[in-house]
This record gives sequence, C-alpha cells and structure tokens, in this order.
Amino acid sequence: MKSAYYPLGTFVVFVLGWYAISILFEVPAYLLPRPEAVIERLGQDFGYLMRHAWVTTYETLGGFLLSVLIGVPLAFIIVSSSIVEKAIMPWLVLSQTFPKVALAPLIVVWFGLGIVPKILVTFLVAFFPVVISTVVGLRSMENEMLELARSMKASRFQIFWRFRLPLALPSLFSGLKVSVAFSVVGAVIAEWVGATEGLGYLLLTANANLDTALLFAVLAILTVLGIVLYYAVEMFEQRLIPWHASVRLKEVPAL
Amino acid sequence: MKSIIALEDVSKRFGPFTALESISLDVAEGEFVSIVGTSGCGKSTLLRLVAGLMPTSGGSIRIADREVTGPTDDVGIAFQTPVLLPWRNVRQNIELPLEVRKLDVGRHQAELTRMIDLVGLRGFEDRHPYQLSGGMQQRVALCRALIHDPSLVLMDEPFGALDAMTREQMNLEIQRIWMETKKTIVLITHSIIEAVFLADRIVVMQSRPGRIASVIDVKLPRPRSFTDIATPEFQDACNQVRLLMNATGFTE
Repeated sequence: MKSAYYPLGTFVVFVLGWYAISILFEVPAYLLPRPEAVIERLGQDFGYLMRHAWVTTYETLGGFLLSVLIGVPLAFIIVSSSIVEKAIMPWLVLSQTFPKVALAPLIVVWFGLGIVPKILVTFLVAFFPVVISTVVGLRSMENEMLELARSMKASRFQIFWRFRLPLALPSLFSGLKVSVAFSVVGAVIAEWVGATEGLGYLLLTANANLDTALLFAVLAILTVLGIVLYYAVEMFEQRLIPWHASVRLKEVPAL
Repeated sequence: MKSIIALEDVSKRFGPFTALESISLDVAEGEFVSIVGTSGCGKSTLLRLVAGLMPTSGGSIRIADREVTGPTDDVGIAFQTPVLLPWRNVRQNIELPLEVRKLDVGRHQAELTRMIDLVGLRGFEDRHPYQLSGGMQQRVALCRALIHDPSLVLMDEPFGALDAMTREQMNLEIQRIWMETKKTIVLITHSIIEAVFLADRIVVMQSRPGRIASVIDVKLPRPRSFTDIATPEFQDACNQVRLLMNATGFTE
C-alpha cells in the first residue's frame, strides 16, 4: 500500500498549486472555482452525481465489454486467415483515421437516445486497441517455439490454446488498458451528442450554466472512474500473467 | 549395428539458394554423432530436416526404416534457446510434451523425478523459468526433450549461449545421460572441443553449398573427463577437425 503515497503526494501538490493560483491571481469562481468549493459541491450533490456516474459507468463497461467480445475474436480470425486479414485490416486502419465521433449523431438518429447508441459509440472508440494488440500478441511467437510445438505433434488447436494465446496475453492486456481508458472518453462523447443523463450530459448542462464547480466535480468523478477501471484491468493482468516481465519487474526503472 | 537415421543424397534449397547438397549419412543405434561446421553451413537446417520440421528438396531421410514426412514420435529435440513456457514451472514445462501428445502424465511421474535428479534440478521443480539461470533453463529443456523416452535425441547447439564452466558441466551431464540411457544423440555444435569430448563420430560440414566434408571417428575411451583434454589423443582429434575446417575455408 506504500506505493499509494507517491501518487497521493502528487495529488496534494496539484491541489495546493490550484489553491495558490486561485487565491494569488484572484481568479473569479466562474473561471476557476476553489478546491473547497468543488469538494463542497461533491458532498452536497453526492447522490445526484452518483446517479449520473452510474449511468456513465454502465455505458463505459458496456462499450468496453463489447470491444473485448468483438475485438478479441476478430483478432483470432485475422491471424488465422490471410485472406480475411487482407480484406479487413486496411478498413480497420482506415476506420481509425476516420473521426468516429462524427458518426455519433448518425448513431443517435438510428438508435435513439437510450443506452444502445452510447454503448455503440464507446465500442467504436475503444475496440481498435483490443484488435491490434491481440493480433500483435498472437503473432509474437518465436520460430523455435513453433518448432517445439510442431516437434511434439501439437495440432493447430493445441498450438493456439497452449502456446499462442497465453503468449499473446501480455500484449492483449496492454491493449485492454488503453481500451478501457478510451471507453470513458467514448461514453462521455456519446452523451454529448444526445442524452438526458450521465456525466457527459452533466458536463454540458454545467457548461451552459457556467456552473464551474459542478463541472470540476464531474471531471473529478470521471478521473476516479477512469483510474478505478484501469486498475481493475491491471489487477486482472497481475492475476493472469504474474510471470510476465512487465508485471514482475514493475519496480525496476526502465531508463 | 543397425542404423537409426539414414540420409541418402539429401538436398535443401530455399528458392535459388542451395543450403544443403548431396548429404548422405548413416547414424547407428546408440551412437553419439556431433556435427560441426561454420555458421551458415546448413547444420541447423539438416537437423530440422531430420526432425521433420521442414521438407527436403531432394533425396530421402529415413528414421528407423520409415521415411520422414513430418515430426516423428520417437524423437526429442533441444533447441538453441530453451523455449520454456514462462507461465509454467519446471515440472509443468517438462510435462508439456506428455500433455500435448496426450500421454498419461501420472504414469510418468517416477521418470520425471528421476530426470530432475539426473540433471540436478531437485528442489527447483516449482520454480518458474525467470527464476532460473540460463544453464538451468537449458537443463529443463533437456528433460523436456527426454521425458517421453525417445530413442533419438536431436540437439541444436543447446549450450552455445552458456558460459564455459556451465557448458563443461552440461557436457558431462549429456555424456552421463547418454551412457545411462543408450539413446542415439545427434549434437550440432560449433565448439570443436565439445564435439570431440562427446562424439563417437564427428561430421565436419563445409558451406556454400552445405556439404559433408569429412567424417572422423573419435576413439577415446569412455567416460571422458575434461582433464583428458590435455592428452595427446584428445589434442590429435581436435587438430584433425580443425585442419579439416581450415581446409574448407574456416579461418581462425
């Protein structure tokens, strides 16, 4: 638990800096509310904020899970067939240069204002890292490892489940971590396009009313949501691949 | 002696590049054969052909009188790198071929324990590869190659990356395993001393295209020890190999 002191220290420095700026430069509250005003707001409207936070969490998780459920099998298909890869890969890459956010209004037109369009937009934003990292992971088997498997007369199925997939997990997880962070962004964007609840919706209303204290409170909750989800994925990772260097040697400086 | 491997006029081409040309060689049952040659002479390719990991471009390879068309059950392979599965501990890594081949893992437990003792890994059964030194990892790989009790073992420079001390120790262990189990072993190496120390016969290869330059009999008594290296007989054998390699364009 000691490792938590460091980020908390950074946080305290950040808040103190914020406090100092708002006092020293006498920044008006509608531009930059003081930390205590935000904390007060968080306490005052806690139930209200949590209700909206729950909606956004739900959308984020929905989009993320859909990304995993579609992204991982899609990667399986891509690495198993060069024809499929040639047919799909360029379009996948193209879809990433395309501003997916621009599709959000269309998706709202098609699917209305409910939860479905939110999950779909989140999925669009979050699935690509899952596909790419899984493909890269599944391809990262050394030739000698493959020869070892073949020398044992392993079937295609065995090579995949016993060798390739476990070897792909480290890469897959780095993709999942990026994806879960993108998911929060996706859910907020989806709510901006058309929603009646959720943290993204609250951001828009707070903005319209110049209610910066509420705006900051929502941003704080979004940050916490992102961090919690990220570390949830990381916990899974530590359970599943304790053998990998990125998990084992976390404490060693890389530069 | 009955031959377990019979190579007849074997060749291997990669596109326009000829890696191996007219290789003919018989290896007798229970024999220890070392293959030496400079880098790029095709010795690793030759081993992969015998292992059935790649098809020949010409000629025939027979193992125990059966044409090689793919990996054979009765063969164990040790590669240049240990290629251990990092999520499995020592015991599980050694058991891997049994599981993949759908053999009864339980029935091999006594054999597994004996092998772990034989290569000095007792007490390390539950460690993971990253907790082992390079030499220990290679020992695990060796046990894995031997666990299904193949009569033929192919080794592709398994000790190339080890330091000199560990390497000598591994050579002694290989000799002991070979003398105990009477398996046929084909060892690829670029160390002349290693080749002479272990082999009954040494196949010297030359490159471009890969061919057998000569086959040398090593008639030193067994078991051999590293204190024998200074003896004239050992030096003679080493010099013979070295002269051949020099003659084929290998410069020291």
